[in-house]
Amino acid sequence: MTHGAALVAGLLALSLAGLAPAETGRGAPAAESWREFRGTWSASGRRQTVATEGGAQAAIVEISGAVVLASGEGLSRGFRGEAIGFDDGLGLSFGRAVWTDENGDRIFSRLKGEPPQTGRTIVGTITGGTGRYADLEGEYSFTWQYVVAAEDGGIQGRAVHLGGRVRKAGAAR
Amino acid sequence: MTAASANRRVLVARSGVLVLAVGLWLSPVPEGLVPAAWHLFALFVAAIVSVVIGAFPILTSSVLALAAAVLSGTLAPAKAYSGFANGTILLIVVAFLVARAVVKCGLGERLGHLVVSVFGRSTLGLGYSVFLVDGVIAPAFPSNTARSGVLYPLVLSVAEAAGARPGVENRRRLGSFLMFSGMASLTVSSALWFTAMAGNPLGAEIARGYGLDIGFGSWFVASSIPTLAAMALVPFVLYKVLSPEVRATPEAPHAARRALAELGPLRAPEKIVAATFVGMVGLWATASALGLDSTAVAFLGLGVLLATGVLTLGDVAKEGDVLATFIWFAVLFTLSGQLNELGFMGYLGERLAAALGGLSSAVAGVVLVVAYVLLHYLFVSQTAHLLALFGVFLDVGVKLGVPVALLAFLLLFATNFFSANTPQGSSANLLFAGSGYLSQGELYRLGALTTGVNLVLYLVVGIPWLVLVTR
Repeated sequence: MTHGAALVAGLLALSLAGLAPAETGRGAPAAESWREFRGTWSASGRRQTVATEGGAQAAIVEISGAVVLASGEGLSRGFRGEAIGFDDGLGLSFGRAVWTDENGDRIFSRLKGEPPQTGRTIVGTITGGTGRYADLEGEYSFTWQYVVAAEDGGIQGRAVHLGGRVRKAGAAR
Repeated sequence: MTAASANRRVLVARSGVLVLAVGLWLSPVPEGLVPAAWHLFALFVAAIVSVVIGAFPILTSSVLALAAAVLSGTLAPAKAYSGFANGTILLIVVAFLVARAVVKCGLGERLGHLVVSVFGRSTLGLGYSVFLVDGVIAPAFPSNTARSGVLYPLVLSVAEAAGARPGVENRRRLGSFLMFSGMASLTVSSALWFTAMAGNPLGAEIARGYGLDIGFGSWFVASSIPTLAAMALVPFVLYKVLSPEVRATPEAPHAARRALAELGPLRAPEKIVAATFVGMVGLWATASALGLDSTAVAFLGLGVLLATGVLTLGDVAKEGDVLATFIWFAVLFTLSGQLNELGFMGYLGERLAAALGGLSSAVAGVVLVVAYVLLHYLFVSQTAHLLALFGVFLDVGVKLGVPVALLAFLLLFATNFFSANTPQGSSANLLFAGSGYLSQGELYRLGALTTGVNLVLYLVVGIPWLVLVTR
């Protein structure tokens, strides 16, 4: 390793070390308290639109379907995933989602990102839950593998690269 | 079989269905499914099984399942009754009535004699004529349900011209053969052309995400050999299995030509129906391009026939079978759609596909196609099946190393040829299924047979051909 490279590596290490206390300072948990998960979300639903200036369309999207997890300690292997979102037609999309497992326990989340179209990504922030998911917090994201319009205004999509992390909010306190 | 033993058999079948429904309902909900999805699955399976084993007619089992779903709180009433407002289902109802007008005015008899005069030397020839006509008109009809509305009056007319009517025992199997040929024909004509079924372009859109560009030409090249093989073999298989009472009719074309001559020129009601029908066909064929709703076109045609008096309110009142078909199909359509909305279909597809990990790409590809076809027993719409499972199965197959073009085409062809596996497997089946020529048992038996033959053909003939043309 050259002196220059060693210097860069050292600075990088210092920067990372400097970031760590800052995260801890914001109340972030120890690394082991986060549990990662990944899976897919297949959903169908409806999209209602209204015209906006400039030819764009604002839309309300309501979907539901199966969230199937390939991994995720402490989580069910799958959920019924329901979401309602609003897209203002100018790039702003947000919504709410709820995942319900076989016992009726729920995980709530806030959605933000791009309109539901093929290749677009949505980010979710887990805001709580019920039953075994009470006090859950975390984050996830997914990308629409496809979103196609079916008959009668219906839409169907499949989200892949669904992944994120969760923890009990109390675990870090 | 004596009446007593028949009653005992029905009682046993009904008890079995009840045990199945209650057993599934009370068994633990699989991890990852909400209870409503599992309970609805129990009701749906019980309804289908009850028809297959002869416990109840399809109307009875459907309405019982619907009532149980709503009264148990599994489905909200608004969701449960949504199928009754579905445009495709309404299209079927109206097409039934228009077909009745074709027969009533005498135009059907004329059409029947015309077809028999050309193809009527043998019953098998009549079967092939159904496939031929359908195959030729199919690319102009993106809605195979609308196309069934064109094909059905023709098949009905041919059946009647050949002396086959529901309840006429010495021509019963002949009528069954022609009617099921109509159903089977729609499955393969839809697979032959990119534009012959609404779901085909949707599937192509999903496949585009994998870099596969499917258009009219590439679809036809890929589908041509396996589909033409199916068009050649399926009528023959149906002919052998159903064994129509009348087989060789060398004198029929001559007799048909003589009958046509006796009918003379078109009468006024026939002209009205012919003009209306041609207008409907034209509007259906151009509905996508003109932004027209196919169901509204059917209503327009029915309105013209009623306004001109060709069809009367009395005629409509006699069509009680239409109401029965409307109810049972709307119910099953809703139950299947709600299974999807509750996450059951996606869950099943993802879990099943994930279980294939570790298989070789060749085995995985075949298993995926076979599983995709078998799962159609749970669906009441080809497009709904495609949208729920095509992307999942394609994704898993590609990850396991199955060539994307090969798997995509096989799954897309399957989306068409599996539609006859049950009478409710596609709205395009309903006119033929409700014709009175086919019993429920025959519909399920012949549906399984036709789908099985097509599956083997598309695998055995289709795979080498697809490997060749998609290289």
